[in-house]
Order: sequence, then structure tokens, then C-alpha cells
Amino acid sequence: MFYLSMFFQYISQYLKTRLQYRADIFVEFFSDLLSQAINLVFILVVFGHTNLLNGWNRDEIIFIYGFFLVPFAVFSAFFNIWDFNERYIVKGELDRILTRPIHSLFQIILERLELESLLGAITGLAVMFYAGSRLGLSVEWYDPILFVVFVAGGALVYGGVFIMIACISFWADARTSLMPMMYNISNYGRYPVNIYNKLIRFVLTWVLPFAFVGVYPAAFFLEKTEWYWYSFITPVIGIIFFIVSVLLWNQGVKKYRGAGN
Amino acid sequence: MDKYLEMIRIRFLMMLAYRTNYYTGILIYGINIGAYYFLWSAIYGGKEQIQGLSVVQMTTYVAVSWMARAFYFNNLDREMAMEIMEGKVAIELIRPYNYLGMKTMQGLGEGIFRLFFFSAPGLIIVYFVFPIEFTWDLSVWGLFAVSIILSFFINTELNLLTGITTFFLYNNTGLIRAKRVVIDLFSGLLLPINFFPGWAQEFMKFLPFQGISYLPSMIFTKGFSQHQAIEAIGQQCIWVIVLIIPIQLLWHMAKKQLIIQGG
Amino acid sequence: MNNAIEVENLRKEFKAYSSRSGLKGAFRDLLTRNYKVVPAVNDISFTVKQGEMVGYIGENGAGKSTTIKMLTGILTPSSGKISVNGMNPHKERERFVQTIGVVFGQRSQLWWDIAVQESFRLLKKVYKVTDEHYDNHMNHVIKTLDIEPLLDKPVRKLSLGQRMRCELAAALIHNPPLLFLDEPTIGLDVLVKLKIREFLKEINEKYNTTILLTTHDLSDIEALCERVIMLDEGKVIYDGALRNLQEKWGEGKELQFQFLEKVDMAAVKNLTKAIPVKWELDEKEQIFTASLEDNDELISQVIAKVVAAFKIKDIKINATSTEEIIRNIYEKGAV
Repeated sequence: MFYLSMFFQYISQYLKTRLQYRADIFVEFFSDLLSQAINLVFILVVFGHTNLLNGWNRDEIIFIYGFFLVPFAVFSAFFNIWDFNERYIVKGELDRILTRPIHSLFQIILERLELESLLGAITGLAVMFYAGSRLGLSVEWYDPILFVVFVAGGALVYGGVFIMIACISFWADARTSLMPMMYNISNYGRYPVNIYNKLIRFVLTWVLPFAFVGVYPAAFFLEKTEWYWYSFITPVIGIIFFIVSVLLWNQGVKKYRGAGN
Repeated sequence: MDKYLEMIRIRFLMMLAYRTNYYTGILIYGINIGAYYFLWSAIYGGKEQIQGLSVVQMTTYVAVSWMARAFYFNNLDREMAMEIMEGKVAIELIRPYNYLGMKTMQGLGEGIFRLFFFSAPGLIIVYFVFPIEFTWDLSVWGLFAVSIILSFFINTELNLLTGITTFFLYNNTGLIRAKRVVIDLFSGLLLPINFFPGWAQEFMKFLPFQGISYLPSMIFTKGFSQHQAIEAIGQQCIWVIVLIIPIQLLWHMAKKQLIIQGG
Repeated sequence: MNNAIEVENLRKEFKAYSSRSGLKGAFRDLLTRNYKVVPAVNDISFTVKQGEMVGYIGENGAGKSTTIKMLTGILTPSSGKISVNGMNPHKERERFVQTIGVVFGQRSQLWWDIAVQESFRLLKKVYKVTDEHYDNHMNHVIKTLDIEPLLDKPVRKLSLGQRMRCELAAALIHNPPLLFLDEPTIGLDVLVKLKIREFLKEINEKYNTTILLTTHDLSDIEALCERVIMLDEGKVIYDGALRNLQEKWGEGKELQFQFLEKVDMAAVKNLTKAIPVKWELDEKEQIFTASLEDNDELISQVIAKVVAAFKIKDIKINATSTEEIIRNIYEKGAV
């Protein structure tokens, strides 16, 4: 309860700050839109030269991309920890966090909220509806519920992986630019995993399970029955990865060396 | 000149110091090339050629583009944004060197480091893992070398330009991100420019982006004849020179702004 | 009286990497690294009673900050026992920090972009302070620190002195029984310093708040603390009353002479060879300094002899300052 009320406290502070810099929100939103458009352009150009990608057609791939945008938007809004190492470890901001009576990870998540990223979910939904209507997909009563569950699962997968990467900073004193690069890898979850070889498929499923952010859950809505099993374990994978990442975080905080004076 | 060389050396040492970056970097570039290899294999399906490139040429294109990216890529725009927002730029400006020149040298130090310890070994590893064809024609290598140096300058100039905008926008992370995705697509890193529909190709001829990745990679994969290659290099040269103008202009305005606001 | 802080054989080790020099060394570092274990805090023990104001001093790198960070639960000790307000700081961190206030002089506790009072409001929620407590306590704090006119300004627009006063108020929102101040007066002007000192004294008297203070400015310590703990290379080298330190080490007096003519050191030494006195010469300024016991008889004798022999431009008699005492202690390495 306390954590919930803190959440709203921070959100209200966040809004106050953000309203001071309205122009930034537009620029950011525009740049998000641009990067989404570019990814779509990529898909469109590629399908200008082929009709099927290992049995998936253009609209299906577009649908997967649209789905991917939603958990990704949720992730970007709440787990904005790209610069954790620089901001909190190198500059020692974690010192301040640790002198406050709220779980440290939760505080950082609250401080780094970026709710405007949620706008990406709208683009995602629009893309899904566009592709879905071209594919003639039907919407059942349980689809919205499963959609929410899968989105939450996907966002947790993302959050878990990136928290774990952030945790590296507790052990290694190196400044790492791992996060932006990891972003590259996360993109592969957007394509049907059966185009990859076994090793990469394994990595995308169990090690860095980005396939659970895009293709696996989307396959359910595309009625690809052979992938249903993977679709349904999406929330489980999300919860497991997230819990492991929090446990790792708690261990990491004990190893925190403080900023060098 | 000495101080600029020293800056390259310092960057070099810094890169070596962050060794976690080094190991993970190789791994991640490998994964990237791998993933695009599979994606392209799937796209080719059974086809012999698309737009005049065979699967092998395409794979080579992907591998070389990424390895070249290791050389020309840098985060100068983000670094500049940080320095400007934290007010460190004021200190940089009273130092006896050209700030932008110094930044370029830092980027070059980084690039040279990655070229020798990242791209070169990476390319050899990739050569054994994926079906790639290297040419043994030395003139192609020579043209390629000239071309990636120019692509470094084009990319760095664009980074400086984005970095300077921090003076005018409170928070330009959005712009920096947008620039990065635009470059990834329009430079031909993700897919060769000649895959685009004709009108888009025409349009992109008037932009500097294809000089960053598409032109050098096409030279390397012999997608270009020697004549086309020399033309491409000429095109890159023009962009390197043309881009200096907006940089100097904005930088001049930025310095004025700095004086008014007091950093 | 309860002990606010109990520390026993506390130790914190860091792994320090040393880079090899030059390019070749850097490449070797890529494969294997040299590192050694360095104790930043080396088996220290002390206790602080509730209501005490203690100065924690030492040179840069002596281990002050590391100790404070362990006491506040930021760092985990390598070994040893800590009990602060009856709790183990790192183990029960979230419950524990509710009972302490922390001010880091070089780091802001407040949110940069929002008005000071918004930060206060948020912190009030974070520390679960009731409206009633907040009003009673903070109105007073705000008045005493004179920050009322600053409340609606964003932190980034405040001057350092203004910000520091707000930081102090922010650390006291939950009226903690124990306050850690790490370099609270660094870079502040004299007036702000005085104001902060007075305020600290006041809350100490009013709430019996324990205060642990690290600083490079010994005048802070002189003004506030009866007790000092002195650290050197991770070890406690002195723990006791500030007054004792002065009595024990500040016994001597210093006589400074400047002469009108050029005088030879050997000649001066020769004059006073019967008296136990140590001479030093500042070459540049041509100031001759005699250090000797605080004994009127001896002082008069030295002055008499010197004045009789040479023409004097200036004479000063100084008692040894705390600063000097501490410098002496560090030079000798132990008390």
C-alpha cells in the first residue's frame, strides 16, 4: 500500500517536472514515432523482394511488430535505466537512494519514470489493428485479457533482462555500453524465431528471452497453434526473469562500493 | 598537432581500460551479424539474386557494414550533450584547442582502437563462421580503406552537429536517438540502398547518409565497379566538406549563446 | 543513556586495480589485471552516546567517508560489528534509515527540477511523517534556517548556501534522533556557516539529536563538538575531548621574529643554546620562529636575548592552533 501511494506521489512530481519542458515531450514522441516508422519501412522494403519469410507473410510480420511495440512502450516508461551505471554508480547518486526508506530499485524506477513512452503503445495498437484487419483476425472476448497478460509478461522479461545488465555495474568497475547494444539483440524477438538457427532460437527463448516480447505472444493472436505453448508461458517467463533480477539486484547492492572520493 | 595525437592516444588507453565493454562488444556484434545473416537467408529463400546481389554478397555486405560501423561509430553527440548540460563546455572552451577538433580526435582514437582490436579480429572470426567472400584484389581494399575513413568523418560531423544542438534544446536525447535510427536505415546498414524503391533511392542520393555505410560496403562486396567506386568516394568527399558549413555556423551561434547565458 | 552508535572492529576492504603504464601495459591489463586489497577502514571501534556531537576528522582518504557510508547502511562492512540506533544498518536498511538523517555536502538530496517545497512534500511521504508532526517541527526548522522565501524556487536556481540550508532541512523532515553530516559547510561563506552551526546546536539541545560531523574545516568542530575522533590511514588515532587535545599538544608557544638587518640562523641559535628552544626559518619572508614550552620565564629570556643582539622589525607570540596541533599529530602518525 505504501509503495502504491509512493508510486502516485512520484508520478505527480514527475508530471510537474515534465510540464515545464513540454517541447521535449513532443520531440521525444516524434523521435519514437520516427524509429517505429523506420522499422516498418524496413519490413515493407524487405517484403518488396519476397512474399514469405519462412512461412510468415508481410502482414503477420507487421502484426508482430505492432504487438512488440506495446510491451516495449510499457518497459520504456517504467524501466528507464539505460544510464544506471553513469548516473547512479559513477556519480554516486545511489548513496542518496540508499539513505531513504524505500527499496532502492523501486526508488530508481520511480525517479526515472518516462511515462510519455507509453504513447508508443498507441502506435503499436494502431499497427496491430491495421495488420489484423488485413489478415481478417477475429477478436474474442478473452483476447483483451490475454493481451494485457502477455504485454505484462513481455514488459517484465524486458525489465528483468535490463535490470540484470544494470546489476553488472555492482560487480565490474567498468563503464559499460552494454545496454544500447543489448537493444539491438532485443530487436530479433520481433521476427519469427524459426528463421534463426537452433542456437540463436535457444538464446532468444531461454537466455535473453526477447522472443517472449514479440513473436511468441503475438503468435497466439495470429492463431499459429504450433506456437501456443510458448505464447502461454510468456507471463511465467516474465515473472521468473523479473524475480531473479530483483534478487540479483539485492545481492548487488551489498557489493556496492560507493563512488570513489 | 601534438595535443591532438595525444588525445587519440588517451582515448586508446581509455578504451583498453574498459575491458568488459571490449569482450561484450565483440560478442554482440557477432550476434548482430548472425541475426541479420539468418534474416537475409530467410528473405532470399531460394532466390539466386536480389537487386544484383547474391546471398554470399549480401552476407558479406552485412558483415562488412557492421565491422565498418565499429570503426566509424561513436557517441560524441551524447558526450557533447552531457558536457554541455553539465556546464563543462565552458571549461573546454578556455583550453587552448579547438573543442570540435578535439572531439573528432577522441572519436578517431576510439575508431582506430576498434578497427584493430575489434573489426579486424571480428572479421576474421566472421569469415570462418559465415559463408563470406573476401576479395584479394588490393585495389578494392585500398578504395575501401579510403572510403571508410571518409565515412568516419561524415558520421562524426553528423554527431557533432547533433551534439551542438544541445545548446539550443534543453534536452536533445530524443533528437540523438532519432538521428541514430535514421542513420541505421538511410546509411544502408540495415539494408542496401538499392533495395529501396527507385524514387527513394533518387531521394537518398541527395542525403549524406549513404556515404556512411552503403558506399564503402558496396565497394568491398564488389557491388560497384572501379569507376563507380571512385565516383562514390568523390561523393563522400563532397559531403565531408559540405557538412563543415552548418557545423561552423551552429558552433558560432552556440558560442554566442554560451556567452549570453554564461554556460 | 543509550548509545546511538556502537562500532566494533569495523573493517572495509576495497580491491584496488592498478593499471600498468603505457600502451603495452594497457594491453596486458586487457587479459589480466593487477589488484591488491586495500583496507580503507582498518579495525576501528568507538561508541557515541545519544545526544553527543562528535567531530570525525582525518585527511583525504583516511576513511571518513567510508565509515559514514557504513554507518548509514550504504556500504556493507567487510567485517566487524555495527549497531546504530540499535539496528544493523545494512541488514535492516529500509527500517533503519527511517531513524537517521544524512547530508552529503557535495551531493544533493533534493530534486533538481522541482520547487523545494515539492521535494519536502515528497520526502514527507517517503518518511511517512504525519501532517501534525510536520507542521510542528518543520515550521520551526524553516524559520530558523530562514528558507521560507526559497520554498517555491526550483533547486537548480538556488545558490550553494541556500541549497545547503534546504538540504539540512530536508534531512530533518522526519526529525531523526541521529544526524550524519558529511562536509556540510564545504564551500560556504562565513555567515551561512555560522547560521548552520547555530541551528545544529539548537536542534541538539532541543531534541537531544546525536550529530556525527565530518569536515575539513576545524572551526566547525571547534564551534560544535566537544569530542573528536581522528582517523589516519583507516585507523582511529585519537578519540577524546577536543580540549584534551589542545592541552596535551598545544602546550607550546611560538615566537616569531623579523629583523631589520640580515641575520644568520647559526648566530640566532648560538644566542639561545642554553634554553630548550627549536628554531625554524622561513627563507622567503625571513621570519625566524622559535617553538618552546609555554613558560613565561623561558619566553622572556629568549626575547631578551634576541632583542639585545639584533634590531627588531616585528615580534609575535602565538599559541599553537588546533590546525597546527592536528598537523603535528598527522606528521608524527600517532598520539
